[in-house]
Amino acid sequence: MEHALVAEESSADTWCDETVLERVAAIARGPLAAAAPRIDGEGVYPLDIMGELGAAGALGVHLDRYGARFGLSLAAMQEASRACGSTGFLMWAHDVCGLYMEQSGNPSLRGARLDAHARGQTFGGTALSNPMKAFSGIEPMTFRATPAPGGYLINGTLPWVSHIGVGQYCGAIAAVHRGDGSVSHEVMFMLSCDERVELRHCPVFSGMEGTSTWRVKLTDYFVGEADLIADPARPFVARIKAAFILLQVGMALGVAQGGIDSCLEVEPVLGHVNRFLHDRPDELTAELDEAVSATQRLARTAYDGSTDYLLEVLDLRTRGAELALRAAQASLLHQGARGYLMSAAPQRRIRESHFVAIVTPAIKHLRWEMARLSAEELPA
Amino acid sequence: MSDVIADWKKYVCRACGVIYDEELGDPDSGIAAGTRFEAIPDDWECPLCGVTKADFVLYEPAVAVAAACAPAQGAPSRTPGVIVVGGGTAGWAAVEAVRALDPDIPITLVSACSADRYRKPELSVSLSEKRTPERLVFETGPAAATRLGVRLVAHTYAVGLSPALHQLRTTAGTFRYRQLILAQGARPVAPSGLPRELCWRVNDLSMWSSMQRRLTAGRARVAVIGAGLIGCELAEDLARAGHTVTVLDVSDRPLATLLPTPASRRLLAAWTRLGIHFLPGRSVSVEARRGIDACAAQRTSNASDACNASDARTASGSVADVSATRSEKVITTQHGERIAADLVLCAAGLATEGRLARMAGLEFARGIVVDSRTLQTSVPDIYALGDCISFAGEPCRFIEPIAAQAEAIAHAVTGCEHPGYRHQSPVIRVKTRSTPIVVRGLPSRELDWQIVEEDDGHLAMAQYRDGDIVSSLTVGSRRVELAT
Repeated sequence: MEHALVAEESSADTWCDETVLERVAAIARGPLAAAAPRIDGEGVYPLDIMGELGAAGALGVHLDRYGARFGLSLAAMQEASRACGSTGFLMWAHDVCGLYMEQSGNPSLRGARLDAHARGQTFGGTALSNPMKAFSGIEPMTFRATPAPGGYLINGTLPWVSHIGVGQYCGAIAAVHRGDGSVSHEVMFMLSCDERVELRHCPVFSGMEGTSTWRVKLTDYFVGEADLIADPARPFVARIKAAFILLQVGMALGVAQGGIDSCLEVEPVLGHVNRFLHDRPDELTAELDEAVSATQRLARTAYDGSTDYLLEVLDLRTRGAELALRAAQASLLHQGARGYLMSAAPQRRIRESHFVAIVTPAIKHLRWEMARLSAEELPA
Repeated sequence: MSDVIADWKKYVCRACGVIYDEELGDPDSGIAAGTRFEAIPDDWECPLCGVTKADFVLYEPAVAVAAACAPAQGAPSRTPGVIVVGGGTAGWAAVEAVRALDPDIPITLVSACSADRYRKPELSVSLSEKRTPERLVFETGPAAATRLGVRLVAHTYAVGLSPALHQLRTTAGTFRYRQLILAQGARPVAPSGLPRELCWRVNDLSMWSSMQRRLTAGRARVAVIGAGLIGCELAEDLARAGHTVTVLDVSDRPLATLLPTPASRRLLAAWTRLGIHFLPGRSVSVEARRGIDACAAQRTSNASDACNASDARTASGSVADVSATRSEKVITTQHGERIAADLVLCAAGLATEGRLARMAGLEFARGIVVDSRTLQTSVPDIYALGDCISFAGEPCRFIEPIAAQAEAIAHAVTGCEHPGYRHQSPVIRVKTRSTPIVVRGLPSRELDWQIVEEDDGHLAMAQYRDGDIVSSLTVGSRRVELAT
């Protein structure tokens, strides 16, 4: 796919908090709001808008080099997700990919490649859904690596990797197999979607079709030094795990806020009957406000490695998903038939909110993980 | 019939969960019904997600447990009632007290464990009495919930609290409350050097049960780290149960923060008769060592050398009465001594977990700060009792005050008049049966202890301030009693 880049000068110097938020709001309420039905209905992959968001700083400000402003990054993602959940998800995938590159410490990933990525001039996502679940003991690791001179050979098929395409890239993890078939450790690498990679279509989902989600098949794909993110992968993933999950909250809260917007939109005409509904916009707003302030508080220390911090992030991410579900549901009930139109935001947002609730980590995974971290560990 | 003969197998896609059923085949991909999985071409792909045949594994369905585990009591109510967090003594005391005052108010009990009811102090004496976990439970959680009309949400952790929204978040979902009662208890601390995966702690029935199961294999060398109340009680119970016990503490004597030297000395004398070995002034770390060979699992009945690593390997004794596959633990002291043990019990004290309180903005000082009369926390509609609270920065982790605390909270929650809780230092009864110890009042570190009465089997001491008695203690009983 051709990248429709925006001509606007992308200078990180202009990425002060207010400017970033203003520009993101302008994009979200303008071109993104207009494109949202096509992104959802026709599966349009909005790389032009992602480019604009990148130029505005929305895809780079969480990086250390731009001040590790996770709070700003989350606020920007929330603003965009309010208009289009799919785009919010793309921003998250893009954000964590940039985070992998920077935190890798690998000069070949941190230099010009990261510059272009952070500004939204090149695009890439993340293939960590399966590994994250594998590390939590939920399912086995799909990609297999075998040591080769100067690196590894990777084999396997990973379904459902988003924000990739020919010429793009994503962070991925493979289990390293010894000669006897046992797993020695895991390796994390940047996977370039070049001619060596087979990208196949996925079955059609009920939503999020504009997120360029593919099945990735690797056959003896060579990974060398220049593309290594972390070897071994586990300590690296442990370090970035909270930030990885925290960043998703922007998407959740944006979808929730969009739902509240839709409730309020019909209040003048339908308020007299809508008052019989539960989950009214004022209640939902009170919950959203509290979640936003918790988000901004936790965003100040995204690399806090403590269990207590991770538990708070998991709790917040769960709240975000639950709130998105309830707000989206409420928006449809509040709008009635007009929200049920195929062109209406509420019916789309319901599917977006379901995605927020089931994408890794899904609500059930989050609760599983919180229970695991809360349990008293005793000798075997 | 043909099914039985054919013994069709199913294979599940590890990526998306699609099941390939040999009986049905995958006609859409040209795989006829009745095609064995082995007979499918290797380039066949998952019909849903497209991974290859190699990503399928044999499917053996797990027994469905969802329905059996679901909480049966009480239809979920939209009326936010009282939520109690904690299924131990304090949690149930709160439930009983609230229910006694209001037969109708919805009550939900959220418990990390099964919420089975047992008498916690019994955990200190039950090994030697050969009690099983089942016998310690006097009422199961579900039975108590039914009797009291409570919705029990067991095996569930409270993970988030938003007072402004009256919202409690748990690993089983989000609940709204009118009033919240925190009875979450305290957790054993695991000092650095004493890894949780190597050192046992006993603070509730499930921890005790796990350790008890571990000890059923036979006589074991047990090292108890910490000679406080719990450490002393369990050390004695372990010794009476036939295990070889060594107690280590940073202090020079057991119960050093509670008792004066003459009292500790009496306890030590009784321990000597019981074969409990005490190592004073030790700070330690613990690590695992795999059994060197079957001989490493040999146990000796000789208490004096059993806990020395070098001796244990050479000592002749009864063979392998603890599974040889178990790993041995090695305790290293600050002097470089190395002590081998089959089981290490860490009794280094308790601490209240502050995360929930802090995220909710509750004042916290070594415990949740509560009003000394109403037991309300610093936030309206949230109360706390039991091991998780502190008065003036001091936790008070005994059973005795809990009933009165629950009474005060129940009255506040139901809007009934109550004169208010009055906190008093509980009488401390140390369940060291060789030398029963009872402490009354609030011992002060500044005051000297004076001997009131003393004979071979009995010691009574007291502390005075300006002629008034501040605290008193008795060790042993007046009748001369020999350790049995």
